[in-house]
Amino acid sequence: MLKAYKEKYAKDLIQYSIIDLTGLIVESDGVLFPNMENQNIGDIHPFFECFYPLLLSKDEELVFSCIHLDYNGKSIIGDVILKTFDGVKLPLLTIHDLTSHYNNYQTTAQVRNESVIHSQILELKNSYLKEKEEFKNTFIANFSHELRDPLTGIITFSDILEKSGLNQQQQNYLDIMKSSSNFLKKMIDDILDLSKIEVGKLNLVIEPFDLIELIEDLKQSYTIKAKQKGLEFHSNFSEKLPKVLGGDALRLRQVLSNLLNNALKFTQSGSVTFNVSLNQIRAQKASIHFEIIDTGIGINEENIDAIFNSFTQINDQNSFKGVGLGLSIAKYLVELTKSKINVTSEYGKGSTFSTSINFLANQTLKLSKKTQPKPIIFDKDRKYNILLVEDSEITQLSVLKILASKGQFFLDIVNTPEDVISKITNFDNEFDLVLMDIKLKEKDGDDIAKLIRKLPEKQHRKIPIIALTAKVFEEDLKRYKKAGINDVIKKPFDQVSLLDTMSKYLK
Amino acid sequence: MKISKKIVLLGHFGVGKSSLIRRFVENTFSEDYKVTIGVHILKKNVTLTEADKDVSLVIWDLEGNDDINNTRMSYLLGTNGFIYVFDVTRPSTYQNLESDLKFIESKYANIPIKVVGNKKDLVTNEFIKQNNEKFGRLTNCYTSAKTGNNVEDLFNKLAEELIK
Repeated sequence: MLKAYKEKYAKDLIQYSIIDLTGLIVESDGVLFPNMENQNIGDIHPFFECFYPLLLSKDEELVFSCIHLDYNGKSIIGDVILKTFDGVKLPLLTIHDLTSHYNNYQTTAQVRNESVIHSQILELKNSYLKEKEEFKNTFIANFSHELRDPLTGIITFSDILEKSGLNQQQQNYLDIMKSSSNFLKKMIDDILDLSKIEVGKLNLVIEPFDLIELIEDLKQSYTIKAKQKGLEFHSNFSEKLPKVLGGDALRLRQVLSNLLNNALKFTQSGSVTFNVSLNQIRAQKASIHFEIIDTGIGINEENIDAIFNSFTQINDQNSFKGVGLGLSIAKYLVELTKSKINVTSEYGKGSTFSTSINFLANQTLKLSKKTQPKPIIFDKDRKYNILLVEDSEITQLSVLKILASKGQFFLDIVNTPEDVISKITNFDNEFDLVLMDIKLKEKDGDDIAKLIRKLPEKQHRKIPIIALTAKVFEEDLKRYKKAGINDVIKKPFDQVSLLDTMSKYLK
Repeated sequence: MKISKKIVLLGHFGVGKSSLIRRFVENTFSEDYKVTIGVHILKKNVTLTEADKDVSLVIWDLEGNDDINNTRMSYLLGTNGFIYVFDVTRPSTYQNLESDLKFIESKYANIPIKVVGNKKDLVTNEFIKQNNEKFGRLTNCYTSAKTGNNVEDLFNKLAEELIK
């Protein structure tokens, strides 16, 4: 029975051939490739050329798997076995047709290899983009940082100049300088904000805040700005608006300021209208609708999406100041609240920017009591020894001028780590406070702070240290705290911010 | 008598070994990637003008492998010359270059090896210069099976070396 089945169903998948030592096929059953007899093996297929040296071996079995063979129009994929013998017996060649099996394997290998290559290419693209992004952000952070020292100089010396008895014309010139430096400072802050947003390092700080106070404050400020430009400013605040909400007031103010600035910037005549209303309060959440309408130049529909791209200004006439970051930042910040900014506009007639943002709204939200800014007071009967660690001459001079104007400070300036330690540990110097730049040439300021905190004498290691720096990302502040730095003054600083922070540590 | 030389192409999968051979033997190129399984053997006769000799190159296109230890050793019997191919755009294909070459040299001492960075058309010359360190000092040339750049030259130079 089995024999009958075998005869009926067996497939001829193996070809047997006998070859002489010169490669001539003496005998072949022709099961796979007919007409091989009396041919030289090397003429059948180039694969067999490798057989010539092997034919002389004795009693060996050489297996070649998965060989692609074609002869006389027929192609197979199979295993080839060459068996040589001791004595006079001629070598035996067997060809096993495994085409079907290997074709299945090919399909599997194709899928696997394509997937591996695809993921490798994706990984490479990602790492390339990441590298590019990191370079851009580092460049922006460094560049902005480098701008802060000269800006500190401009701001400080503008303040000093203002108190030097200027005539009206000089005062006017100075006002222009101050306004320009404020504009520059705003742009640097915007660029840094954007770089923080793009690397996902900007998080909202949710706290109770006074919505009414915030929008009234904006109304007051932008009424003046609009008037200065000869525009009308209208505002409509719904009476149903809740007073206390939970949200990030600083960032909300930034979004609304950026939208209002944008409206003022692109409106040459007519008005800007600022509307705020309540959509609803549900499940302890208040949805507030903000709307800013202008009668400005308007935007073509096809350009609406592009206005939110960084460094984009649709109007290319250069008649509008700015680098085009305001709307981009506003968009990102609103997206952080899981909302979006809607724009409707008609070219030549004006635009409306609106957004609805959800805030926390419940009875437990309490505003923190406002403390009046304390006057900056130092003990009049004493003088303070301050050590400034700073390598920027502009900042050195700025601090020197500010402190000299108070007449209560002795200032020592150093810029190397060795000098810091030797100054502090010299018992002739009893420093009351150290002002420490962070980005120093030889060693970072926070590393020097660590050295100070490890000094053996308590009076030395306990000196208050205040960082003077432009690097104030969340992770930077954590690092300063860990290094034992008591406080941070952000560059560019002015007289008030410097003295105010110092006064906390000088009793 | 015509000289016949066996050349084996080694390297990871997807680096373009089959494309290099197809470009050299048939002067064709396809963007479609078809995985090679086992081995394809092709033959091309070349005339080396300087040496004034005809050589029959029997070129073995081996299945790509990310670990050279997995190469079927029977394929390498009687090899006269190796071409080790990597893809200049995929670091995984050249990160073990030195150890792979050591492996080949340890088993087939004195057999010439040409190391080739393929897919040159996908990168700039500047990129190749910048990454020269990564590609290893052993790389002999950069080719493009797509454009044919340096392909003929690669096989001819190896053939010349093989008949010396």
